[in-house]
Amino acid sequence: MATISLIDLMKSYGDIPAVKGVNLDVADGELIVLVGPSGCGKSTLLRMVAGLETVTSGSIEIGGRNVVKAEPAERDIAMVFQNYALYPHMTVRGNLEYGLKNRGTPREEINRRVREAADILEIGALLDRKPRQLSGGQRQRVAMGRAIVREPAAFLFDEPLSNLDAKLRVQMRVEIRKLQRRLKTTSLYVTHDQLEAMTLADRLVVMNSGLVEQIGTPTEVYDRPATLFVAGFIGSPPMNLIPVSSLSGNEVSAGLPSGTDIVGIRPDAFVLEQPAEPSLALEASVELLEPIGGESHLHVRLNSSGQSIVLSVPGRPEIAEVSDIVVHARLADLHPFSAQTGRRADNP
Amino acid sequence: MVENRPFLTFLTHLVLIAGVVIVVFPVYLAFIASTHGPGQFVSGLVPLLPGPHLVENYSTIWNEGLSSSGAPPIWVMMMNSLLMAVAIAVGKIAISLLSAYAIVYFKFPFRLLAFWIIFITLMLPVEVRIIPTFAVVANLGMLNSYQGLILPLIASATATFLFRQFFLTIPDELMEAARVDGAGPMKFFRDILLPLSRTNIAALFVILFIFGWVQYMWPLLVTSDSRYYTIVMGIKRLAASADSEPLWHLVMAAVILAMLPPVLVVIFMQRLFVKGLVETEK
Ligand SMILES: Nc1ncnc2c1ncn2[C@@H]1O[C@H](COP(=O)(O)OP(=O)(O)OP(=O)(O)O)[C@@H](O)[C@H]1O
Ligand SMILES: [Mg+2]
Repeated sequence: MATISLIDLMKSYGDIPAVKGVNLDVADGELIVLVGPSGCGKSTLLRMVAGLETVTSGSIEIGGRNVVKAEPAERDIAMVFQNYALYPHMTVRGNLEYGLKNRGTPREEINRRVREAADILEIGALLDRKPRQLSGGQRQRVAMGRAIVREPAAFLFDEPLSNLDAKLRVQMRVEIRKLQRRLKTTSLYVTHDQLEAMTLADRLVVMNSGLVEQIGTPTEVYDRPATLFVAGFIGSPPMNLIPVSSLSGNEVSAGLPSGTDIVGIRPDAFVLEQPAEPSLALEASVELLEPIGGESHLHVRLNSSGQSIVLSVPGRPEIAEVSDIVVHARLADLHPFSAQTGRRADNP
Repeated sequence: MVENRPFLTFLTHLVLIAGVVIVVFPVYLAFIASTHGPGQFVSGLVPLLPGPHLVENYSTIWNEGLSSSGAPPIWVMMMNSLLMAVAIAVGKIAISLLSAYAIVYFKFPFRLLAFWIIFITLMLPVEVRIIPTFAVVANLGMLNSYQGLILPLIASATATFLFRQFFLTIPDELMEAARVDGAGPMKFFRDILLPLSRTNIAALFVILFIFGWVQYMWPLLVTSDSRYYTIVMGIKRLAASADSEPLWHLVMAAVILAMLPPVLVVIFMQRLFVKGLVETEK
């Protein structure tokens, strides 16, 4: 168990920067999820912490110790890879034991830890099988087991669930969360699945092209996205970003912080009837109604600017496609952004 | 392709059987010849059934050889060949495993150059570089020695190349997982790379053993002392006795014996061999 600190961490491949100066403090026992679009440097960051990638500049401290020059094995971390990277010629037991054996752990201790991990992950019956005799989900468990038996200072996960089917992914996600709560091991978890990120994280780190956009709890990030990028990235369907200029006919500019030229409105912040609170109204024509079970996604085009936006409304409203409607949003639900800085306009 | 037509089945079997007969017939003839007495084969009429001299012919050639041709007993030549073939196969595999490991997993200056130099030697088989190699071996005083027979044939671009290709198919994450698990370069090689290469090694061993066994030109050049004769070049000597008809029944017995070890190697390593060619354990 340990804290992890990243200080001005940078990585370039030749001239191409992949991580451009990241600062992050991970508390003991915390589960941090790194999320961001493909190619934003999440894996690179994680692999630097693991010691599998050299650091261009900056430093990494695990448990207060600078580990930039340490070998992966000396960092007291365990990593779960996307493709699991189980040793194909070893049995499950062999896979679990390998790291411990290399460390010269006594036999009884190895047996105890393997038994414990197998119990926790319910893979006791699979111990004598080879990886190729396992299903994807079972391999995933073994990969987790290999990390657990080491009892490391930190777990590093690089998209560990992305090779599983959707249902199993949800199940394993819950298990990983429970397991992490139970073991209280500091963890860094990389994913590009924002649902996974929102549900797992103690704190989220949203990254974009090598930089951290925002660090915060999932609720903070969702309720107060710090940048336009985060606003558009977190949430599904994504937040609608509407230029203030196309809010014609609404007396909103007075209520918005200075410098605001884009407002963000979440799809579920829209309502079809005018609410009691101060609100804005937008005229739009309905393009498509997508019922998706308990709610429906309404794709409409704003009459003022022709911009397409998405609303999510409860139930299945009786609205004909290609009809004109007026949609409302409470002023309190608006997220003010400055297009120039790309950041929130009402940040202290 | 899976069609159930009796005629096609018949035809495919016919073709296969014809193929087998064509390949096996000369071998059969050699065997038949080795069981008859001295006069039978030169009489012009080739017998097709085994004769009565099997044990006698084989024990003669095995223990005494053909004194007239100046070749040692077959068992000496067989031992020489065996030693040479095994040493070449083991040596080639060891060297090429290590060089492929270096080329794939380590970053060092001129790594690519090293690879290409190895690769280019693929285009220079023993026969092409035989004169300079002979000169070197002669200058080192290795004529008529096992080192002289074996060492020049050990360097192997083909095997290095094969192992390199195989190592490249092993996911990097496996190496990374091993590093996180505290395995250094030698441990990774021994605990993970070697076991994964097992089937490839077996397949290569079969191929290289046969390669070593059938060497003809090189042993012919570097050995003049009959104690170092190998079986494949020895047979030629048996057949080429100067002043009389070759003793075909004994020559054929030697031929049959010479064929045995490669066949045995293939049979015993077949399971691993086939596995190595068709599947990789990943
Ligand atoms: N070995 C390398 N050499 C050169 N560039 C690299 C190398 N590895 C990664 N990059 C670059 O660094 C950037 C970050 O890559 P990284 O693998 O960290 O992305 P990621 O956020 O993990 O993306 P994904 O979600 O697709 O896995 C990418 O632009 C990538 O092209
Ligand atoms: Mg990645």
